[in-house]
Amino acid sequence: MQNAKDTFYVTLQSRLAALNPARTIVVRGVVRPGTLVEENELPSAWVPMDAFRLQWTGLQANSAGPLPLLAMECSIQYATDGTSGNGGMDRGRLLAAMDAELVSVLGAEPHTIPKMNYSAAGGGIAPTAMGTNVFWADPVFSAAKAVGERLERTSTVLVFAYQEAGEL
Amino acid sequence: MSTTTGAGVVASVAPVTRRVRAYFAPVNRSAGIPTLFDAAQLGRFDLNAPPSPWVDLGWVSEFTRKCGTKIDALRAGAPAMTVGQVRTEVEATVSLKFESWGKLQVTLASGSQQTNLLTTAAGASPNGSGGVAAAPVPLLTGTGPASTATILNVGTTAAAGFNIGNLVAVDVDYTGQLGYVGTGVSAAYVQSASAVGGDVNYVRRVTLNVGVVTAIVSGALELVSPLLAGVPAAGMQVSKLIGFCDREGASFFQEWSGLFVMPGEQGDRVLIHYPRLQAMQGSVETEVGLAAPLKMIRLAGAFRALPVKDTNDGETVLCFRSYLPAVLRGV
Repeated sequence: MQNAKDTFYVTLQSRLAALNPARTIVVRGVVRPGTLVEENELPSAWVPMDAFRLQWTGLQANSAGPLPLLAMECSIQYATDGTSGNGGMDRGRLLAAMDAELVSVLGAEPHTIPKMNYSAAGGGIAPTAMGTNVFWADPVFSAAKAVGERLERTSTVLVFAYQEAGEL
Repeated sequence: MSTTTGAGVVASVAPVTRRVRAYFAPVNRSAGIPTLFDAAQLGRFDLNAPPSPWVDLGWVSEFTRKCGTKIDALRAGAPAMTVGQVRTEVEATVSLKFESWGKLQVTLASGSQQTNLLTTAAGASPNGSGGVAAAPVPLLTGTGPASTATILNVGTTAAAGFNIGNLVAVDVDYTGQLGYVGTGVSAAYVQSASAVGGDVNYVRRVTLNVGVVTAIVSGALELVSPLLAGVPAAGMQVSKLIGFCDREGASFFQEWSGLFVMPGEQGDRVLIHYPRLQAMQGSVETEVGLAAPLKMIRLAGAFRALPVKDTNDGETVLCFRSYLPAVLRGV
């Protein structure tokens, strides 16, 4: 299950970074592409603006077939205050740009990607490909919400993966 | 429960797909020869670049196959007991909704000859499928570049009569041909020259050899995609058109070879091939509500499969379903 979550996150992050390399955030002093998984970061009340924050919420398992099919709900939250140079009056445009980026990367072919195991990756060690693919449905977008001068939205996408033998 | 079938091999799971892609290929109506798709050779083709002569029809929805084959019991004895079975009737149908509208999709969905609404001559009397057409424009030979499947050399003078975005039909003149007409794809059947009024533009009126002009350069019309029939043959001419028209009640049955691909999310693929399909309903469209008062109009098609003989064993069949497993799956 974690492999599927990691694979989807890395895929989403790399596609978003390729589409808009200028969208970055600073996390613990490091500049990164503007996508993060909240459960992988230090707990904080700080909400990064103009970035995509992933939360893994719902989970269903279908054991009818020879491999359990997992349906994992990924909630992608994003918000913007606009830019100070424009007095925040561009916040609608910036939210629309983030909407468009998500629509583009989640709607782009392919909608399926080989599941990777990142548990031993890093430090020059590449992740290993597993035997099945991770795939996802079309995203569902909530209504934009205005909180003071801030505009925010949540997109929800169902991510599917088979739990392979021996995989946790 | 988790299952493996061997080292590195994953248990086979039911294919999961998000949509169905359709492809068209012509049937040689005069010879009665369909286009056969060999999944053993071409099953893994790039969905965006189908192998010739297959033409992409785009995604379809509500793709439904129905088996009308009847199997009866053979009984013997007293009391009668089933001792065997026999197929008493073999039939297969398929229905779908096209997600895009184009000449091919509209033609196939209509199921009959589908006319191009050729630009009319000045003063032409009104007619449901288009009045008398304006004079066609000949393709030049020996002057300027040779015409190709995507470039139509009409000369600078004639080119001035075209604009970017124009639709054009390219085909031979009607000179009394009888039987199937239309280059590349049989588009209609002419029973007599008088039936079509000896109209020199009749073949261009029904042809599926159409294109969209995207550029005009030095007397040549450049098309957005290759003509279905390829490089224009000598004697072909160009007519402008503004759209397409079909009718309820026409006599001709379109026939085509169909291929439907369900790409699996695991890299597997299901291919369903009907070598011969004929429409089993007239022009129908369905509405999909968007938000009042907006509705999306989809072309609805329903087709009946006709038989071919499988040369591997001489069996007469209606369709072929092929399954290509993903890599390293149990079988």
